[in-house]
Amino acid sequence: MDFALTDDQQLLSDTARSLFTNEYPLSVVRAHADDPSAADPLWKHLTEWVALGDGPLVDLCLFLEEAGAVLAPGPFFATAALYRPVVAALGREPAATGTVAVAGESGEWVASADRVRRFVVEADAVEEVVVVVPGGAIITGPLPARPVETLDSTRRLFELDVPMGEHAALPLDPDALTGCLERATVALSAELVGTARRILDMTVEYAKERVQFDRPIGSFQAVQHKLADMALDVERATAAVYYAAMAFDAGDADRHRAAHVAKAAAGRAARRAAKDGIQIHGGIGYTWEHDLHLFMRRAYASEFLMGSSDWHHERLAGLLFD
Amino acid sequence: MKLAWSAEDEAFRAELAAFLDQHAPPEAVEYGRHLADESSDGGAPPELLPDWARVWQATLFDHGWMVPGYPPELGGRNATPTQTLIYLSELAARDVPRSLHFPGYAIVGPSLLEFGNEEQRGLAPAAIRGDAVWCIGMSEPNAGSDLAGLQTRAVQDGDTFVVNGQKVWTSYAMIADRCMCYVRTDPDAPKHKGISVLMIEMDTPGIEVRPLRHITGAAEFAEVFFTDVAVPAAHLLGDVNDGWRITTGSLAHERGGLWVPGVARCRHTVDELVGVAKARGLDADPGIRREIAALYEEAASLWALGHKGFAAGAGGAEHSYMKLAYSELLKHQFEVGMTLHGPDGAVTSGEPGDPVWWRRFFASFAGTIAGGTSEIQRNIIAQRVLGLPRGA
Repeated sequence: MDFALTDDQQLLSDTARSLFTNEYPLSVVRAHADDPSAADPLWKHLTEWVALGDGPLVDLCLFLEEAGAVLAPGPFFATAALYRPVVAALGREPAATGTVAVAGESGEWVASADRVRRFVVEADAVEEVVVVVPGGAIITGPLPARPVETLDSTRRLFELDVPMGEHAALPLDPDALTGCLERATVALSAELVGTARRILDMTVEYAKERVQFDRPIGSFQAVQHKLADMALDVERATAAVYYAAMAFDAGDADRHRAAHVAKAAAGRAARRAAKDGIQIHGGIGYTWEHDLHLFMRRAYASEFLMGSSDWHHERLAGLLFD
Repeated sequence: MKLAWSAEDEAFRAELAAFLDQHAPPEAVEYGRHLADESSDGGAPPELLPDWARVWQATLFDHGWMVPGYPPELGGRNATPTQTLIYLSELAARDVPRSLHFPGYAIVGPSLLEFGNEEQRGLAPAAIRGDAVWCIGMSEPNAGSDLAGLQTRAVQDGDTFVVNGQKVWTSYAMIADRCMCYVRTDPDAPKHKGISVLMIEMDTPGIEVRPLRHITGAAEFAEVFFTDVAVPAAHLLGDVNDGWRITTGSLAHERGGLWVPGVARCRHTVDELVGVAKARGLDADPGIRREIAALYEEAASLWALGHKGFAAGAGGAEHSYMKLAYSELLKHQFEVGMTLHGPDGAVTSGEPGDPVWWRRFFASFAGTIAGGTSEIQRNIIAQRVLGLPRGA
């Protein structure tokens, strides 16, 4: 198990970081909340990267980690991490943009036969929707989509009504389908780890600068120990995500467990970082003006998307006990 | 980033596996599986260093498998850091300890090699092979986390040091031949600058060893009292008043893998908890299933983090992440092991051979206190990894 980045992987990671930090300032994130088209120019920079969804999961994770650090909005995640792998598994050519409808009425992140589909990412901004059903998938053009208001304006979620009778489902091997969904879960975990690390970095910087009682608050043990625990969780989750990505790329038998571990670890790390991050920022962190709440919104929204930490623990228990 | 090791490193593992298949004594596996499960409530203390363990350590040394990163004359085979990690993982996967006496090979041997003169370096092979048993005199009643505040005094008188004072939590002192002892030689200097290291023969007149019973009831540690103990000046390791830097003298090339046995234990413990939950008919309880899965998540992600840190060459300060995490996780796991027993959780008269969860739980506090408490580890992470300012 070798976690050292190859030169190509290091280059990819560095390129992603400069792309996202240059092109996705938080001013765009805020503008996007009022008008989603504010992110359109930025999406153009990303179109050439969507094929990362077809390659090694490690590469996609390195890229998405940087996307998560800036709360990048738009159809990149849906297209690269969700849509393209399923379309490839179906043996079809991908459209420029797409998303996948998985959860039914229950909201659970498993293939459903329900007509209603919930939590469909960026459904009104894509050319194709793949509707996953037990044993297969339906490919359609855009469907009428009802926006779902969530904590997080940077990832837009929708509810769809699928005209089930109008399209024949293409057959899809259940293992291949599971693989696609788990792979996307790991990808989301990578993005979430990027968000958690950014919150940690912001909070460490703030603790070094903010002076109370004539000294930086970061010199107080109560604050230091919170930050140490935050950092440990972020490090742990990062390693869990990379391990899961390597396990998928190697087709290792441990990949199913690793996917649940990655999402649960990333969700827990992001929640802790968000909670303690705001707490350590104190009053300024409680303001609308400060950017931190944007990160907390993303952290919690992603924790609940594609299965919460609790849900992944339940699924993991199924693999440990049954 | 890739999951598989190179063909060369896989060959290294295969050679090790074949050696272990052939030579690892059954007692070693038994010991590894039942660490801290032995009963010693008021009974005879467990044998600290049984014969099989001495023979096993010498066998590993003679075959170059004791400290693989060392050259053959020091019990190794010039293994690379990656191979050392593979070595530690393979032993951990099999629950096989390489030694029941860590001070000799992990602390004394490397310290002698790094800081000793030629004659003192000559003592290293026996320390690593386990032929000589060493204890380490560090902690004192008033020098725990603040180790540099130690007060055991050594006064030079010609070619002799005269030592007076007390050490505590000294592992193996009851059976040790020698003590690598941290003493204050300059009480007027700043506290880090007045410490020296003496190698003291344990049969020197004036040394009294009293077994120290700890919270499980067992007596694996000791207090050591020094009263006018005369130590030849030639037994000084390093220079006078320069002993503090010798506290860092552990196996530099194994530092990247210090976490392996602890995290491996966390992983095994999850398997055992699954077994306990099933045996007690709790495996359909959603709360218990989630709780154990969360413990699995922590252990699995720590295993990954250890490897990630190793790849990044993470040394001293980053190791605090691992030490903090696995020692706290083990304590939590053992507590869960007790609670799975419901009303029997506090019952201490178990069936022979059962894992004894209360004893593991009690013993696990050694992990979160010894070698730098969890609070000290968090300080190190905050100040040396995250770069936060030191407190007032």
